[in-house]
Amino acid sequence: MSQMPAVPIEVLPYVRGIQLVLSRYEGYTKGKRREADKLIRDEIKRAGTRARNHITNIQDVAFKSSNLSIAKAAKLATTKIDSLIEDVDKSITGMNHAFFSGSRSAKVSDLKKLIKHDHDAIEMVTKAINIANSAEHALSSSKPDQEIINLIQQCQQMITSCQGFFNSRNKILGGLRQKQK
Amino acid sequence: MAKLVDANNLKTWQAQEVVLKPNEACVFIVDGRIGDILTEKVVGNIAGGFNRFIGEMMGVTAKDRRLLFAMTGPADIAIPFAGHMPNGTKVNGFANLRVQLRNEDIPKLLNMFANSAPVLDRRRLAEVLHNELMMRVINPSLAECEDDTMLRSSAFQDKFEMRAEVELRATLTTLGFTMLKAFITANQTDSEKLTELQAQLTAASNTEGAHAEALMERIAIREAATLRRIECEVNVAKAEAAGKVTVELESELKELRKDEARWEAELRRDEGKLDLKLKESSHKTEQAMALFEQVQANKRERINQQMEHQNQRMDKQNELQMKMMEMAAENDALTPEVMQEFLRQQTAQKAIDGPGNEPEASAEKPNEYLCDKCSKPVMSGWNACPHCGIIL
Repeated sequence: MSQMPAVPIEVLPYVRGIQLVLSRYEGYTKGKRREADKLIRDEIKRAGTRARNHITNIQDVAFKSSNLSIAKAAKLATTKIDSLIEDVDKSITGMNHAFFSGSRSAKVSDLKKLIKHDHDAIEMVTKAINIANSAEHALSSSKPDQEIINLIQQCQQMITSCQGFFNSRNKILGGLRQKQK
Repeated sequence: MAKLVDANNLKTWQAQEVVLKPNEACVFIVDGRIGDILTEKVVGNIAGGFNRFIGEMMGVTAKDRRLLFAMTGPADIAIPFAGHMPNGTKVNGFANLRVQLRNEDIPKLLNMFANSAPVLDRRRLAEVLHNELMMRVINPSLAECEDDTMLRSSAFQDKFEMRAEVELRATLTTLGFTMLKAFITANQTDSEKLTELQAQLTAASNTEGAHAEALMERIAIREAATLRRIECEVNVAKAEAAGKVTVELESELKELRKDEARWEAELRRDEGKLDLKLKESSHKTEQAMALFEQVQANKRERINQQMEHQNQRMDKQNELQMKMMEMAAENDALTPEVMQEFLRQQTAQKAIDGPGNEPEASAEKPNEYLCDKCSKPVMSGWNACPHCGIIL
């Protein structure tokens, strides 16, 4: 494990948590900030795609079996996941070599917020994957329709939460681009 | 949407540089192997250049380099279709598919370019998907559509979208696309055109009717306004004429009232004068009557005195005659001659006493005359008749 001199001690548990998913993640240490940002974004897209695949399978099976209530719920969830992926794909980078050249330097509090938001976003999307997997499993186990719909909606809710955390993270990154007045 | 570029054909002395924007990505295929997928990056020395030329000359560079560029933003594909509903109604329009290339799926585009031109645009993708879309999505969807109402319903669109996703997923995934959205845009059917025509005709009729009603209403309003204006003008003319007449009458009335007042004043003056005259005449009458009464009283008193004096004298004479007769009787002198003489003297005496009143009455007669109106005696010198009150 490499050293993380710029990472505050308070957020170290969050960094460790993210490293369980992204081993290369080292927080926003100097010189690796863009890499960290790209890692987070790629992981969210990857996880979102995974959840989407599960939900898509549910949608296909439900439609083929003319279970339109489940299919419609699955369609809504996939639409939400597509929205998350698009948000992540076209989000603010702010992580190039001019990370600090925007105007002001990142404070320790900014780094704390970023790392915490990274952790929360990854956690949410990971939960979404698990719930989507559970939903698909419930469908294959002939569970009641309402239970499957509930799981799909929970997945959608997690994706929405992840989108919210990611947008908050973008806001922090956007704030670094301007000097404090 | 995507283009496969053979970098071996790029022969320039100046090294080429490409800036990949967020919605652009590039996949390097080097020596038949899929390399990095780059986006949001400035890719320098991507082809050409003297260094690469030297490397190729020395045989240290890759033998085959291809660049697969792709747009990663959502793209709308409009695929024309024509079909029939179970009731025979022909339906044509476009099936819109919104697809997207994800970065990790871009290399799958090589399946598309394997046996065709190295350029993929929307038209080509529509052509690729057309038959499958018609057979697996549009025709089954139209087969379930009973009428125009169902064709326009949201349930039909939802079902079409899910069917498109399910049926085309395999093909799109093979080509590297992810379907985001699908919907059908059906043109107006014949029955809808007929319904629209009927609605338009009805609307035209209603519009014409509404125009006619509005026109009639407008005419009625104008008529009412004209009549009202005429009525107002007549009323104004009447009022003006009445005003003029009133003014004239008032002026005449004022004159009349002035005359009336004058006449009343004159009447009061005349009445006052008459009253004064009447008062004066009545006063004179009263005075005359009082004088008359006084004269009459004096006359009656004088007559009474005369009558009394005459009676006394007659009594004295009768007494004297009686005494004379008695004396004559006592003296045996009462002869017929004496009696005759006595009667003769008595008669003479009566004759003397009798006409004593006559001369006084006849003496007063010339002072009286009869009133012209009531024919009653009035005294000369009276101003008014005491019986009828006229001015004498």
